Amino acid sequence: MTPSNLHKWASLPDPSPADLARATAGDTQAFTLIVERYQGMVYSVAFNVLGNHTDAEDAAQEAFLRCYRKLPQYRSEASFSTWLFRLALTAAVDYRRREKARPEPVDVPDVAGDATPELGEGLDAVTIVAALGDLPEDYRVPTVLRDVYGLPYQEIAEVTGRPLGTVKVMVHRGRASLRLKLKTARGEA
Amino acid sequence: MDCSYFRKRINQYVDGELGYLEVAELQAHLSFCPDCATELAQVGAVRGALAGWGRLELAPPPAFGERVTAAVEREPAPGTQKLLGQVFEDVLQKLDDTLGAVPLPGGRTIPVKNLIGWGLAAAAVIIGIESAHGRRSRELKPL
Repeated sequence: MTPSNLHKWASLPDPSPADLARATAGDTQAFTLIVERYQGMVYSVAFNVLGNHTDAEDAAQEAFLRCYRKLPQYRSEASFSTWLFRLALTAAVDYRRREKARPEPVDVPDVAGDATPELGEGLDAVTIVAALGDLPEDYRVPTVLRDVYGLPYQEIAEVTGRPLGTVKVMVHRGRASLRLKLKTARGEA
Repeated sequence: MDCSYFRKRINQYVDGELGYLEVAELQAHLSFCPDCATELAQVGAVRGALAGWGRLELAPPPAFGERVTAAVEREPAPGTQKLLGQVFEDVLQKLDDTLGAVPLPGGRTIPVKNLIGWGLAAAAVIIGIESAHGRRSRELKPL
């Protein structure tokens, strides 16, 4: 079983209680520190859910605004990054409900740092992004939430507002479609 | 061989949703069905590649942080946006704090905010009655 990518983001260090208190009191400089630390995570989530730069940027900004407004509701029982990760997911899914996808050519964003994406099975980032981008919207979002981020089906149903059984069917179809696209991309029959 | 039963189970298998007996049944089938075994391997490869992609941190566009900060600076401080009802309650509380309570016969007192609340409720009832009366008068007026 693939471990949830929530765990990866949860390992990001939380802001100090003092910085959080200052940001909650309306200190925008303290909030800027939060934006600088987590912008990669929030933008990555938005891009993977929405599939293009323009929408991802708008949704990521919306996620940070929601975070700022909801700071007084944050309770330190959950790590800050997990809390913000879920806000970012919800903001991206809500954005897709509100706005139609903007057609943009496949353009893979730079990966932070010097990491060269190692995705295995002869698959590279361009192939993955193009294959995800080709999926029908109804399949794409649940498949990303399940297989890119490892969310439980129940939570995907809640975030997308769809019945649990429907979500499972969409993920299974999304996987089948991706399997064929990636097979073609690798030059297999 | 009709593998459709097992093909449906492959997704449940990779999601960890099959019971012990169902897993044993599927594994027995996979041991002699290369087509289903290949499909399982391919589904696993797709999931592995997607999970690997999800672990990468993508670089936001240039000046993204500055744009977010500029948008945040236009926001009111967190927790300062109140519902209209809360604002009204706060105003009444302020009046109450300033004017105190009105004494009643017998040494009792009544908070000013209660008096204002009752006054507003009475005004609403009177306006409602007046408006109903006016409507009825118009309806009864001879042409």
